[in-house]
Amino acid sequence: MEKIKANLIEHVKSSFPEASATNHDGNRLDFTVKKECIPSILTNFKDILGYIHLSHITCVDWLEEGEFEMIYIVWSPEDKIKIFVRTRVERDNPVMPNIDMIWRQANTYEREFREMYGIQFTGLVGAEEFILEDWDGPPPMRRDFDTEKYAEETFFHRPGREDALDVREEIIKRSLEEIPDYAKKYSR
Amino acid sequence: MIKMINDKNSQKIVDIIQNWSRKHSIWVLAYGTGCGAIEIPPTMTSRYDAERMGVRGAATPRQADVLLITGYLTTKTLKRVLRVYEQMQDPKYVIGFGSCTINGGMYYDSYNTIKVLDKYLPVDVYINGCMPRPEAVLAGFGKLQELIGEGKANGATKYKENLEWYRANQKKVIPTWKRPEYNW
Amino acid sequence: MEFTIYTLLGIIATIVLAFVVGMTYMGLSRKIIARIQNRKGPPVYQNFIDVMKLYSKTTAINHGFMQHVGPAFLMVASIMALMVVPVLNEGRWFGNLNFSGDLVFLLYIMVFGPLGMALGAGQTGNPNSAIGVTRGLSQMVGFEIPWVMALVALMIQFNTTSIVDLLNIQTESGIWLMFSSPFAFIAAVLAMLGMFRYSPFDIVGAPTELASGPVSENGGKYLFTMMSSSSIFAFAKLVLYVDIFMGGAGNLVELLLKTFAIYLIPMLYGAVSPRYRTEQAIRYFWGWPTFFGLLAIIYAVVF
Repeated sequence: MEKIKANLIEHVKSSFPEASATNHDGNRLDFTVKKECIPSILTNFKDILGYIHLSHITCVDWLEEGEFEMIYIVWSPEDKIKIFVRTRVERDNPVMPNIDMIWRQANTYEREFREMYGIQFTGLVGAEEFILEDWDGPPPMRRDFDTEKYAEETFFHRPGREDALDVREEIIKRSLEEIPDYAKKYSR
Repeated sequence: MIKMINDKNSQKIVDIIQNWSRKHSIWVLAYGTGCGAIEIPPTMTSRYDAERMGVRGAATPRQADVLLITGYLTTKTLKRVLRVYEQMQDPKYVIGFGSCTINGGMYYDSYNTIKVLDKYLPVDVYINGCMPRPEAVLAGFGKLQELIGEGKANGATKYKENLEWYRANQKKVIPTWKRPEYNW
Repeated sequence: MEFTIYTLLGIIATIVLAFVVGMTYMGLSRKIIARIQNRKGPPVYQNFIDVMKLYSKTTAINHGFMQHVGPAFLMVASIMALMVVPVLNEGRWFGNLNFSGDLVFLLYIMVFGPLGMALGAGQTGNPNSAIGVTRGLSQMVGFEIPWVMALVALMIQFNTTSIVDLLNIQTESGIWLMFSSPFAFIAAVLAMLGMFRYSPFDIVGAPTELASGPVSENGGKYLFTMMSSSSIFAFAKLVLYVDIFMGGAGNLVELLLKTFAIYLIPMLYGAVSPRYRTEQAIRYFWGWPTFFGLLAIIYAVVF
């Protein structure tokens, strides 16, 4: 396993000299590249090295650093190694290259990011509305969108709701209450 | 003879017979709107039989009596549920299932679900729990039967009389939707 | 004059009897199927309550004049089919309006009902109803073939097309037609499974199939008409079977026992079998039942 990983790191560094690699225990491997190299490095993985399975694409919101981080996870059924390919995009006007000509399922992932995070993909084809209908607020999955404040303003609330009670105190309080007759046969 | 037919006592007798027949035969629309719909099949099948109360599933809104709102309602589903509710024939009832219809439940801070169902649709009976067990569901149907028998399950007439208020509330969450004019 | 009054009262009494008995049998079938599935079912009079509730709906929604036509045709076809079948052997009541060309007339009337419903369902504009109606009519093509072959075999064997003659032949010879022309009986019973629209041939009206097919836009009083007409029609078919194959009935108690015995066959078979698709159903009907029908015709011609 370690030999395979060392071979991989050497191969990738020879084609992409700016990539940086991190080795983790077991079957995980990380690469960090610039965002323009993403289509070529993923094509490299898929066609040449045999990493044919795109497992997941996800996005992390680094609010303090002002960047989004996109992570692509690929897997090879022969080597059985998970490779995380990471890039950073700036947060103000994020534009990423489109990879749905390599794997078709990336189309769905990218439409979700366009709706939930506001990231634009060049040449992405698909309807504007993905899951939310008639949504005209900010992209909801960003960390600076306060969902509780938004929900308080838009919807009616029923008064008298108590939240964030301590579980142990409540259990003690309720175990001292009177059990009604019909529930006696179910209590311990 | 005409006086005998039109007086209040005979209207009361007709009401008693009609309410008795509506009480013992309730047809539930087979439409699961949220995650509470997973408690409906155990209630309707062999172990906690709901058919002995006369409750059975109906396929289309034109044939159904009761609309079960099981769980949370997003604004996207609310549009469809309103359309389904207005297609049903009087007298119709709405049962709110689970704590998400009462005060928002688990999704009280979500940007997309409605918190209080009562402002958008007239609700007759609430069943609380997350999810309520089949025994609780049967108790809810029993309460609905009691209300029908006394003639107090009037959600549909309340909707017709206060249509403007309900429409204003619905427009707040679904801003761009044209509704037809009704001539009830 | 007396004769006409008795006939008219007899007609009204027959319709009421058919409605009550048909609804009770449907309620009984729900109870029996529930007990087979290890639960208690609804009470036996549950169908009456359903029908009363449907009648007392206060708003009505319709899509035009042709939608009234569907349930009306169904009701008219059921009552006409009921009128032609003699319910009891002797006696002035329940003799009905039978005449000597009965069986052929009955074969035409039985197809008339679903045709009218097709017109009504087309007017609503709901695509579910259109597909449901197509399925129902194609299934009818399936089971009509063995049913017609069985009746034609009987007509050839006894040289008559009147039900009263068949009844008289059975009382004279003392043997039921069930035993003296067995292949016709087998073919007719296999066709009966398709006629009653229980499993495995209930793809037309089941609530989980295409939102209950042709009935999907009808609620309230239309549904009341459809349910009552289906129960009247079921009673007419059961009495037809009892008259042709089991020697008729002398009094009401014997009639109820014999019709219930025949009714058990599709109900119990339906409680344990899954649903066929339309092409599987037609393939089934053009297999063994048609074979038995052909055997029945050959038996009738040769013997």
